[in-house]
Amino acid sequence: MRSTRNVVGAGAGAGMGHYSDPPLLVLASLADGPKHGHAMIEDIALLCGTRLGPGTLYGAIARLEQQGWIEPLPPEERRQPYRITVAGLRVLRAKLTTLQQFSRAGLERLEAL
Amino acid sequence: MNRRLARLLMSLYPRRWRERYGAEFEALLETGRGDLRTSINVVGAALREHIVPTPGRKMDQLPCSFGTIMKQPSAYLPVAMSLTALAMVLGYIAKYGAVHETDEGAVAHLWQLLMAGQMPIVAFFAIKWLPRAPRQTLYVLAQQFGAALASMAAVFFFNLG
Repeated sequence: MRSTRNVVGAGAGAGMGHYSDPPLLVLASLADGPKHGHAMIEDIALLCGTRLGPGTLYGAIARLEQQGWIEPLPPEERRQPYRITVAGLRVLRAKLTTLQQFSRAGLERLEAL
Repeated sequence: MNRRLARLLMSLYPRRWRERYGAEFEALLETGRGDLRTSINVVGAALREHIVPTPGRKMDQLPCSFGTIMKQPSAYLPVAMSLTALAMVLGYIAKYGAVHETDEGAVAHLWQLLMAGQMPIVAFFAIKWLPRAPRQTLYVLAQQFGAALASMAAVFFFNLG
Protein backbone atom coordinates (compact mmCIF):
# COMPACT_ATOMS: atom_id res chain seq x y z
CA MET A 1 0.00 0.00 0.00
CA ARG A 2 1.42 3.33 -1.04
CA SER A 3 1.56 6.43 1.17
CA THR A 4 0.68 9.70 -0.53
CA ARG A 5 1.71 13.05 0.81
CA ASN A 6 -0.85 15.16 -1.03
CA VAL A 7 -3.01 15.90 1.97
CA VAL A 8 -4.98 19.10 2.15
CA GLY A 9 -5.47 21.09 5.33
CA ALA A 10 -3.04 19.58 7.74
CA GLY A 11 -3.16 22.85 9.66
CA ALA A 12 -0.65 23.98 12.27
CA GLY A 13 2.22 21.58 12.75
CA ALA A 14 1.61 20.08 9.35
CA GLY A 15 3.06 16.62 9.01
CA MET A 16 3.11 16.00 12.77
CA GLY A 17 0.21 14.34 14.52
CA HIS A 18 -1.74 13.72 11.29
CA TYR A 19 -1.68 10.26 9.83
CA SER A 20 -1.40 10.35 6.05
CA ASP A 21 -1.64 6.97 4.38
CA PRO A 22 -4.66 7.69 2.14
CA PRO A 23 -5.42 4.07 1.10
CA LEU A 24 -5.41 2.94 4.73
CA LEU A 25 -7.55 5.92 5.74
CA VAL A 26 -10.09 5.08 3.02
CA LEU A 27 -10.24 1.45 4.11
CA ALA A 28 -10.69 2.50 7.74
CA SER A 29 -13.44 4.91 6.75
CA LEU A 30 -15.32 2.23 4.82
CA ALA A 31 -14.97 -0.27 7.67
CA ASP A 32 -18.18 1.00 9.30
CA GLY A 33 -20.24 1.03 6.12
CA PRO A 34 -20.35 2.19 2.47
CA LYS A 35 -19.67 5.85 1.73
CA HIS A 36 -19.26 8.16 -1.26
CA GLY A 37 -16.26 10.46 -1.74
CA HIS A 38 -17.47 13.52 0.15
CA ALA A 39 -18.63 11.42 3.12
CA MET A 40 -15.23 9.71 3.20
CA ILE A 41 -13.41 13.05 3.33
CA GLU A 42 -15.55 14.21 6.26
CA ASP A 43 -15.30 10.86 8.05
CA ILE A 44 -11.51 10.70 7.70
CA ALA A 45 -11.22 14.28 8.99
CA LEU A 46 -13.22 13.22 12.09
CA LEU A 47 -11.30 9.97 12.43
CA CYS A 48 -7.77 11.34 12.50
CA GLY A 49 -7.76 15.05 11.69
CA THR A 50 -6.43 14.55 8.16
CA ARG A 51 -8.45 16.22 5.43
CA LEU A 52 -7.72 14.47 2.15
CA GLY A 53 -7.82 16.51 -1.04
CA PRO A 54 -10.12 15.15 -3.76
CA GLY A 55 -7.18 14.22 -5.98
CA THR A 56 -5.51 12.28 -3.17
CA LEU A 57 -8.78 10.60 -2.23
CA TYR A 58 -9.53 9.40 -5.76
CA GLY A 59 -5.91 8.32 -6.26
CA ALA A 60 -6.41 6.03 -3.27
CA ILE A 61 -9.90 4.91 -4.33
CA ALA A 62 -8.68 3.97 -7.83
CA ARG A 63 -5.77 1.93 -6.51
CA LEU A 64 -7.88 0.21 -3.85
CA GLU A 65 -10.55 -0.70 -6.38
CA GLN A 66 -8.00 -2.06 -8.84
CA GLN A 67 -6.56 -4.19 -6.03
CA GLY A 68 -10.03 -5.50 -5.22
CA TRP A 69 -10.02 -4.09 -1.68
CA ILE A 70 -13.06 -1.87 -2.24
CA GLU A 71 -15.90 -2.08 -4.75
CA PRO A 72 -18.45 0.37 -6.14
CA LEU A 73 -22.13 0.11 -5.29
CA PRO A 74 -24.98 1.33 -7.55
CA PRO A 75 -24.63 5.13 -7.91
CA GLU A 76 -26.89 7.50 -5.95
CA GLU A 77 -27.66 10.30 -8.41
CA ARG A 78 -24.15 11.47 -9.38
CA ARG A 79 -22.49 10.18 -6.24
CA GLN A 80 -20.67 6.88 -6.29
CA PRO A 81 -20.64 4.96 -3.01
CA TYR A 82 -17.99 2.33 -2.29
CA ARG A 83 -17.80 -0.50 0.19
CA ILE A 84 -14.91 -2.48 1.57
CA THR A 85 -14.52 -6.07 0.35
CA VAL A 86 -13.60 -9.13 2.41
CA ALA A 87 -10.05 -8.91 1.05
CA GLY A 88 -10.00 -5.22 2.00
CA LEU A 89 -11.08 -6.03 5.56
CA ARG A 90 -8.30 -8.58 5.80
CA VAL A 91 -5.72 -6.04 4.60
CA LEU A 92 -7.06 -3.37 6.94
CA ARG A 93 -6.89 -5.72 9.92
CA ALA A 94 -3.32 -6.73 9.06
CA LYS A 95 -2.20 -3.14 8.56
CA LEU A 96 -3.79 -1.92 11.78
CA THR A 97 -2.32 -4.82 13.73
CA THR A 98 1.14 -3.93 12.40
CA LEU A 99 0.57 -0.29 13.30
CA GLN A 100 -0.61 -1.27 16.77
CA GLN A 101 2.53 -3.36 17.35
CA PHE A 102 4.67 -0.56 15.99
CA SER A 103 3.06 2.12 18.15
CA ARG A 104 3.22 -0.09 21.24
CA ALA A 105 6.93 -0.74 20.70
CA GLY A 106 7.57 2.94 20.01
CA LEU A 107 5.70 4.06 23.12
CA GLU A 108 7.57 1.52 25.25
CA ARG A 109 10.83 2.99 24.03
CA LEU A 110 9.61 6.47 24.90
CA GLU A 111 8.59 5.27 28.37
CA ALA A 112 12.09 3.95 28.88
CA LEU A 113 13.65 7.39 28.26
CA MET B 1 -16.39 24.51 -6.89
CA ASN B 2 -18.02 25.72 -10.06
CA ARG B 3 -18.75 23.23 -12.82
CA ARG B 4 -16.40 24.76 -15.37
CA LEU B 5 -13.37 24.60 -13.06
CA ALA B 6 -14.29 21.06 -11.98
CA ARG B 7 -14.46 19.97 -15.62
CA LEU B 8 -11.17 21.68 -16.43
CA LEU B 9 -9.40 19.98 -13.51
CA MET B 10 -10.89 16.63 -14.38
CA SER B 11 -9.71 16.99 -17.97
CA LEU B 12 -6.10 16.97 -16.72
CA TYR B 13 -6.34 13.25 -15.97
CA PRO B 14 -5.47 10.59 -18.55
CA ARG B 15 -8.36 9.53 -20.78
CA ARG B 16 -8.66 5.98 -19.43
CA TRP B 17 -8.79 7.30 -15.85
CA ARG B 18 -11.51 9.81 -16.83
CA GLU B 19 -13.54 7.11 -18.54
CA ARG B 20 -13.70 5.15 -15.30
CA TYR B 21 -13.79 7.83 -12.59
CA GLY B 22 -14.49 11.08 -14.44
CA ALA B 23 -18.21 11.49 -13.76
CA GLU B 24 -18.10 10.71 -10.05
CA PHE B 25 -14.88 12.70 -9.55
CA GLU B 26 -16.39 15.73 -11.24
CA ALA B 27 -19.46 15.43 -8.99
CA LEU B 28 -17.20 15.29 -5.93
CA LEU B 29 -15.30 18.38 -7.08
CA GLU B 30 -18.53 20.30 -7.63
CA THR B 31 -19.75 19.56 -4.10
CA GLY B 32 -16.40 20.37 -2.49
CA ARG B 33 -14.33 23.49 -1.87
CA GLY B 34 -13.12 25.49 -4.84
CA ASP B 35 -10.03 26.95 -3.21
CA LEU B 36 -6.50 27.09 -4.58
CA ARG B 37 -5.26 24.31 -2.31
CA THR B 38 -7.87 21.91 -3.67
CA SER B 39 -6.97 22.83 -7.25
CA ILE B 40 -3.26 22.27 -6.56
CA ASN B 41 -4.07 18.92 -4.98
CA VAL B 42 -6.04 17.82 -8.06
CA VAL B 43 -3.38 19.06 -10.50
CA GLY B 44 -0.71 17.17 -8.55
CA ALA B 45 -2.79 13.99 -8.47
CA ALA B 46 -3.51 14.24 -12.22
CA LEU B 47 0.18 14.70 -12.96
CA ARG B 48 1.00 11.72 -10.81
CA GLU B 49 -1.58 9.66 -12.68
CA HIS B 50 0.20 10.50 -15.93
CA ILE B 51 3.61 9.57 -14.56
CA VAL B 52 2.63 6.59 -12.40
CA PRO B 53 -0.70 5.33 -13.77
CA THR B 54 -2.98 3.30 -11.56
CA PRO B 55 -2.21 -0.34 -12.33
CA GLY B 56 -4.96 -2.89 -12.73
CA ARG B 57 -6.98 -4.99 -15.10
CA LYS B 58 -9.64 -2.37 -15.81
CA MET B 59 -7.21 0.44 -16.50
CA ASP B 60 -4.36 -1.42 -18.22
CA GLN B 61 -5.92 -1.89 -21.59
CA LEU B 62 -3.90 0.66 -23.56
CA PRO B 63 -1.96 -0.99 -26.36
CA CYS B 64 1.75 -0.68 -25.62
CA SER B 65 3.29 -1.81 -28.89
CA PHE B 66 6.60 -0.41 -30.10
CA GLY B 67 4.71 1.60 -32.76
CA THR B 68 2.34 3.12 -30.22
CA ILE B 69 5.20 4.19 -27.97
CA MET B 70 7.26 5.51 -30.88
CA LYS B 71 4.35 7.82 -31.81
CA GLN B 72 4.70 9.64 -28.48
CA PRO B 73 6.35 13.06 -28.94
CA SER B 74 8.72 12.30 -26.07
CA ALA B 75 9.91 9.23 -28.02
CA TYR B 76 10.54 10.70 -31.45
CA LEU B 77 11.50 14.29 -30.54
CA PRO B 78 14.93 13.39 -29.05
CA VAL B 79 15.74 11.27 -32.12
CA ALA B 80 14.66 14.12 -34.40
CA MET B 81 16.74 16.60 -32.39
CA SER B 82 19.84 14.40 -32.62
CA LEU B 83 19.37 13.85 -36.35
CA THR B 84 18.88 17.59 -36.88
CA ALA B 85 22.09 18.24 -34.93
CA LEU B 86 23.90 15.61 -37.02
CA ALA B 87 22.57 17.14 -40.26
CA MET B 88 23.78 20.56 -39.14
CA VAL B 89 27.27 19.23 -38.45
CA LEU B 90 27.44 17.42 -41.80
CA GLY B 91 26.05 20.50 -43.59
CA TYR B 92 28.69 22.67 -41.93
CA ILE B 93 31.47 20.28 -42.95
CA ALA B 94 30.14 20.09 -46.52
CA LYS B 95 30.13 23.88 -46.78
CA TYR B 96 33.27 24.92 -44.89
CA GLY B 97 35.21 21.67 -44.48
CA ALA B 98 36.34 20.11 -41.20
CA VAL B 99 37.92 23.27 -39.84
CA HIS B 100 38.31 23.57 -36.09
CA GLU B 101 37.68 27.12 -34.92
CA THR B 102 38.40 28.40 -31.42
CA ASP B 103 35.40 30.73 -31.51
CA GLU B 104 32.11 28.79 -31.37
CA GLY B 105 29.72 29.75 -34.15
CA ALA B 106 25.94 29.65 -34.38
CA VAL B 107 25.96 26.04 -35.58
CA ALA B 108 27.93 24.94 -32.53
CA HIS B 109 25.52 26.73 -30.20
CA LEU B 110 22.50 25.23 -31.92
CA TRP B 111 24.09 21.78 -31.73
CA GLN B 112 24.62 22.19 -27.99
CA LEU B 113 21.04 23.39 -27.49
CA LEU B 114 19.61 20.46 -29.43
CA MET B 115 21.70 17.91 -27.55
CA ALA B 116 21.14 19.38 -24.09
CA GLY B 117 17.47 20.17 -24.74
CA GLN B 118 16.59 16.55 -25.38
CA MET B 119 17.81 15.34 -21.97
CA PRO B 120 14.69 16.34 -19.99
CA ILE B 121 12.51 14.89 -22.77
CA VAL B 122 14.36 11.56 -22.61
CA ALA B 123 14.06 11.56 -18.81
CA PHE B 124 10.31 12.25 -19.02
CA PHE B 125 9.89 9.49 -21.61
CA ALA B 126 11.78 6.96 -19.49
CA ILE B 127 9.87 7.82 -16.29
CA LYS B 128 6.52 7.65 -18.04
CA TRP B 129 6.96 4.55 -20.19
CA LEU B 130 9.45 2.26 -18.45
CA PRO B 131 6.91 1.10 -15.82
CA ARG B 132 4.24 0.47 -18.49
CA ALA B 133 6.20 -1.26 -21.23
CA PRO B 134 9.82 -1.82 -20.19
CA ARG B 135 11.02 -3.78 -23.24
CA GLN B 136 9.56 -1.47 -25.89
CA THR B 137 10.73 1.58 -23.96
CA LEU B 138 14.28 0.22 -23.81
CA TYR B 139 14.25 -0.20 -27.62
CA VAL B 140 13.19 3.44 -28.02
CA LEU B 141 15.77 4.61 -25.49
CA ALA B 142 18.41 2.68 -27.44
CA GLN B 143 17.34 4.51 -30.60
CA GLN B 144 17.50 7.86 -28.83
CA PHE B 145 20.93 6.98 -27.46
CA GLY B 146 22.13 5.78 -30.87
CA ALA B 147 21.00 8.98 -32.59
CA ALA B 148 22.68 11.13 -29.94
CA LEU B 149 25.86 9.06 -30.23
CA ALA B 150 25.89 9.48 -34.03
CA SER B 151 25.60 13.22 -33.67
CA MET B 152 28.40 13.38 -31.10
CA ALA B 153 30.59 10.97 -33.08
CA ALA B 154 30.50 13.29 -36.09
CA VAL B 155 31.70 16.20 -33.97
CA PHE B 156 34.56 14.20 -32.45
CA PHE B 157 35.44 12.38 -35.68
CA PHE B 158 35.93 15.66 -37.53
CA ASN B 159 37.59 17.18 -34.46
CA LEU B 160 35.11 20.06 -34.21
CA GLY B 161 34.66 19.90 -30.45
